Amino acid sequence: MGILYGMVARGQVVLAEFSATQSNASVVAKQILSKINQGSDNNNDSNVSFSHDRYVFHVKRTDGLTVLCMADDAFGRIAPFAFLEDIHKKFVKTYARAILSAPAYAMNDEFSRVLNQQMEYYSNDPNADRLNRLKGEMTQVRTVMIDNIDKVLERGGRLELLVEKTSAMNSNSIRFKRQSRRYKNNLWWSNVRLTVALVIIFVIVVYIILAFICHGPLLSSCWR
Amino acid sequence: MSFQDIEAGRPFGSRRGLMNGKQDPTQAVAAGIFQINTAVSTFQRLVNTLGTPKDTLDLREKLHKTRLHIGQLVKDTSAKLKQASDIDHHAEVNASKKIADAKLAKDFQAVLKEFQKAQRLAAERETAYTPFVPQAVLPSSYTASEVDVGSDKSPEQRALLVESRRQEVLFLDNEIAFNEAIIEEREQGIQEIQQQIGEVNEIFKDLAVLVHEQGAMIDDIGSNIENSHAATAQAKSQLSKASKTQRSNSSLTCLLLVIFGIVLLIVIIVLAA
Repeated sequence: MGILYGMVARGQVVLAEFSATQSNASVVAKQILSKINQGSDNNNDSNVSFSHDRYVFHVKRTDGLTVLCMADDAFGRIAPFAFLEDIHKKFVKTYARAILSAPAYAMNDEFSRVLNQQMEYYSNDPNADRLNRLKGEMTQVRTVMIDNIDKVLERGGRLELLVEKTSAMNSNSIRFKRQSRRYKNNLWWSNVRLTVALVIIFVIVVYIILAFICHGPLLSSCWR
Repeated sequence: MSFQDIEAGRPFGSRRGLMNGKQDPTQAVAAGIFQINTAVSTFQRLVNTLGTPKDTLDLREKLHKTRLHIGQLVKDTSAKLKQASDIDHHAEVNASKKIADAKLAKDFQAVLKEFQKAQRLAAERETAYTPFVPQAVLPSSYTASEVDVGSDKSPEQRALLVESRRQEVLFLDNEIAFNEAIIEEREQGIQEIQQQIGEVNEIFKDLAVLVHEQGAMIDDIGSNIENSHAATAQAKSQLSKASKTQRSNSSLTCLLLVIFGIVLLIVIIVLAA
């Protein structure tokens, strides 16, 4: 939610204010100004917080100048008081000695815009607080690491597929080796059978030729 | 707020629970080896500091504690590795698990060798250099507080003084309360950051275990591919022999046909005559 209302005052005199929403913050702020300005020395510097409904009013008094803001209850204290410190510095740097004699709402036209900008900055920008920025960065790191875990798990799934496929390739190549050896053996035996057939035919042909030359099936004239 | 939405979108705790359910001795050994690696890196960094101006008695004490811690881790991981080996011998486990366990044993030996080298270097440097003892700063004595003489003040001034002092005390109490509130809020933020860093640490450990498992898978893939390569090479040589036999076979078939033709020719000539 963030900071919703900001105001700068000298004593009881409101010099500038800005409200981001329609609320009675201005009335409550003036009551708080009355409370903190009575019963105590006007030059006391202090940092206090007042709780009102769901909101907290943070007040910072320095050198007679009061800076006040209203923030959500859950917004904490570090950012609102950093806001008050920043507004105080900007106000003193801008108006310097004129603060002491300015009438009510004298700086409201110019400084309310500065209040608006700084309220936006301290409410929304993570860089306003170093702890918040570090928290955001750690959350980003954790998100990236969770993404990394997801990607590594997906890679693991793909590697499992690859293990299965390479295992199948291994089996197929072993089967290929076995079948190629069987094919080689078949071709070799076929070659052997062909050689034997060739030898048999050659022997038959030679026998027939000799039978003709020797004038008889028993080759009788060649044995004498 | 948006970060929490991202967190709600993917429940990471259930995945971690699922991962924890699959813890077997092999993964325990892998996690142990990873922890030993981390501790040995820390030890080496401490050893590199010996002999520099940062070498103090605290550093020596830290070095000693780290050495004891690594010894304890080595003992635990060795017991787990033995348990995993026993499971490999007794039960009917697949070859990939045996390969994974062998790889883990090799990694474990490499880590031990690294640690022994670092230990030897530490022993050399511890004897060569003496630790740098910083000079103790003597505490300065307190200034004596002023003795408040109140006898010379009037009762009215004394009442004003008491009132002013009471307001100062109130002011200080307010300041203390304010600062304590700021400090408490800051502490809460820092604790949140610490918690997130712890979570990121867990994520890194899980990632290391996952990457280690996938290293084993890649080893499986490598061995499968090498076996396929060898089998295919043998098949290729068998096929080349078959090719030579086939060429010889064709030659013999041609020769047989030629002889058959000649015989047929002779028969025809004889019948014609």
